[in-house]
Amino acid sequence: MTDVLAWATLIVCLAITLARLPGAIRGHNRSLFFIFALITLAILLSIDAPYMAIDRVLGGFNVTNLVLRFVLYATFFAVGVKSTKAFGSQSGERAVRGPVGLTVLGVIAALTVWCFAVSDTQGSTTGLRELPEGTSLEFYAALGRLYPAYVAVCLIPGIWRTVRGSGPGLLRLAAALLMGGLSLLVLSQVFPLIPPSLLWLQPLINYSAALLIALGLAGIGVSKAVARRGRNRYEGLAGSTRMKKKK
Amino acid sequence: MPLPSKAFQHWLKGIAPDVTIADVCRIAGLKRTTLAQQMVRGKVAEGKVVSISRAFNVNPLVALSSFETYADLAGPIAPPTDAELLSQVATLDLLQAVIQRSGQEPAAPFELAEPPHTTSVKNWVESIDDGELRLRVTEATGIAPQNFSAHLTANRMPPELVIATSRAAGVGPTAGLVASGLITEREAGWPPHSRRAALDRLSDSDLALLAGDRLEALGKALRRHEHDQERTDRIWENLG
Repeated sequence: MTDVLAWATLIVCLAITLARLPGAIRGHNRSLFFIFALITLAILLSIDAPYMAIDRVLGGFNVTNLVLRFVLYATFFAVGVKSTKAFGSQSGERAVRGPVGLTVLGVIAALTVWCFAVSDTQGSTTGLRELPEGTSLEFYAALGRLYPAYVAVCLIPGIWRTVRGSGPGLLRLAAALLMGGLSLLVLSQVFPLIPPSLLWLQPLINYSAALLIALGLAGIGVSKAVARRGRNRYEGLAGSTRMKKKK
Repeated sequence: MPLPSKAFQHWLKGIAPDVTIADVCRIAGLKRTTLAQQMVRGKVAEGKVVSISRAFNVNPLVALSSFETYADLAGPIAPPTDAELLSQVATLDLLQAVIQRSGQEPAAPFELAEPPHTTSVKNWVESIDDGELRLRVTEATGIAPQNFSAHLTANRMPPELVIATSRAAGVGPTAGLVASGLITEREAGWPPHSRRAALDRLSDSDLALLAGDRLEALGKALRRHEHDQERTDRIWENLG
């Protein structure tokens, strides 16, 4: 079940990335293309088969997982910067890329490297699941969940305004998906409290979050394309004084 | 509340005794599946009755009055007040009237656009509102205030709410039914050119102030739209 969800997420993200490639080559919103590419890479590195293959090449001591962490940090920093700008949240923008945001990112990144360095990580294992348990590894995992959740908290208020606002329906739907994914990241902070019998919830929440975020971001592009094509465009004075024909 | 299907079928037999439902829909230009669905659910929309009565040359008001909910429409109906008539003059026509009275071009008489216009429902409610109308409507019908406002913003109002609103305001129901687009002013029994006559009765100052109010409301609505559009464009620019 989790496997299916993981591969489905990978395929969806890859498809979105490829779909945006021609536009990116023409110079259209390249940073968004890189965000999708990073999300795809992160999903790839979290699936068993590719993880094991890559980690073998990288020396077999799970440095791939460390790479994955930094891919995620980069992704969420980029998503945070773009989204706070998009949703017009100045306080959110400061919290992500202002001095506070950069400090948070720097401290989390440094601690992540340190935790990884002091742990015994010999023997490739996806998600470090089969490594002997230890405080430093637990801390390492918590840091990996913390930064995405921090960015999510900065974004959610601005996105919520759009979901509730009076924009195009598709745009609001896409924003709602994005917000759903971000909320799951915030929710993932309680992972340590999940009883062992419910451990399958963790990957479910993680992949659902990734899928929702990818679909939400892609949906914003779709809503734009639909609006450009559609006739429901804003017409100003002309549109506000002419009675619409009944459907 | 839409009309119960039993009453609807009874009414339909009265005006078109030997016509099948399929033929009724064809003549009235309705989708058969939609009407069938509404009949199965026991809730036939008032608009369907209006369309069918038009097709069979029955006055929609008379048709509606044969249903219990709209029995009041059968009796003598109070004519619309001048304020109500004016509320159904489109903003651009008001502005044109200002220009015409000031003796500037175009001075030629012009036809008033048929109601409803883009803010008909809201303008109608404002024309009969003494300041506490919404409160009385909410109390009488149980509708939540924000839902009532949503109808005004969307420029629509279910017929039953129109009736309740006009009753709460102590005016006849026709202006509301015209404003919500259910019936035309002719079907409402308004004498020809009654809106024009009400417009001509306005003093210059009242005309100017009314046009000014409308223009201000239009400006505010446009400002809101532009603001929304800017926000949407910023999202599309960054994440589209």
